[in-house]
Amino acid sequence: MKILIVDDSLIIRKVLKNILKEKKVSESDMFDAPDGQAALEILNSHDIGLLLVDWNMPKLNGLELVKIVRKIEKYQSLPIIMITSEAAKYNVLEAVKAGVSDYIIKPVSGVTVLQKLKQYL
Amino acid sequence: MQVKYIQPFINATIKVFKEFVGVDIVPGSPFIFNYNENKYNYDISGIIGIAGHTMGIVVVSFPKIVALDFASKATGEKITIFDDTVIDLVGEIVNIIAGNAKQGLEQYKLVISLPSIVKGVNHQITGVSGVPLIGIPFKSEKGSIYLFVSLKDLITA
Repeated sequence: MKILIVDDSLIIRKVLKNILKEKKVSESDMFDAPDGQAALEILNSHDIGLLLVDWNMPKLNGLELVKIVRKIEKYQSLPIIMITSEAAKYNVLEAVKAGVSDYIIKPVSGVTVLQKLKQYL
Repeated sequence: MQVKYIQPFINATIKVFKEFVGVDIVPGSPFIFNYNENKYNYDISGIIGIAGHTMGIVVVSFPKIVALDFASKATGEKITIFDDTVIDLVGEIVNIIAGNAKQGLEQYKLVISLPSIVKGVNHQITGVSGVPLIGIPFKSEKGSIYLFVSLKDLITA
């Protein structure tokens, strides 16, 4: 399964990749992008099976990305996990309304992410 | 600025450093920041603007030696120069602090900006016009870091 990580923080992208490696996901199945716009290019050129996405990013933020992705026919049932610092309840509701499948509040712990990933890998 | 605005930021700061960087930091006494006193030591700051039913800024400032130490701890790699990794870390830390603090301030419907980074020895930091900039020092093994918060009181519709 191809997995796309979208976060403007290089450190967070590295942390998430290391967590995926623990789940035996190969490097060649991991893609990453620093913003929603770059993510859309990857989504259009590959068949992504899981999307891990931050909210606050330049160019195109995660919430807007999720709304666009849900309009793409092949991605209507794509599992999307939002991993963000946005911790308010109204943010979680807004993200769910936009179409995210799951929501993790940063700072991320490997244990939390691995537990969530079990359902999708 | 009401004191109740500050505590969620302090709680979020302690949590972020423990869980993201892996260090325990201890808050000291809050103070009203006066740049002209120039007695604080920092070299890099992450700044986030806040809007919603209040408006203001939150800033986290680090001395170089502390920022390098925390970047090394967060990445597991020895980082000795002020590179993009350090800038990335400082931006992500202030982003997580501001985002997590929203949990304690739900009623104000806060919206946070993308982080900006400022570098330079004891660079100027200013709060919202007419609102004090409250500083909170946090002690770590390698030195103190500072959280600065300046928020206007509730803006009613």
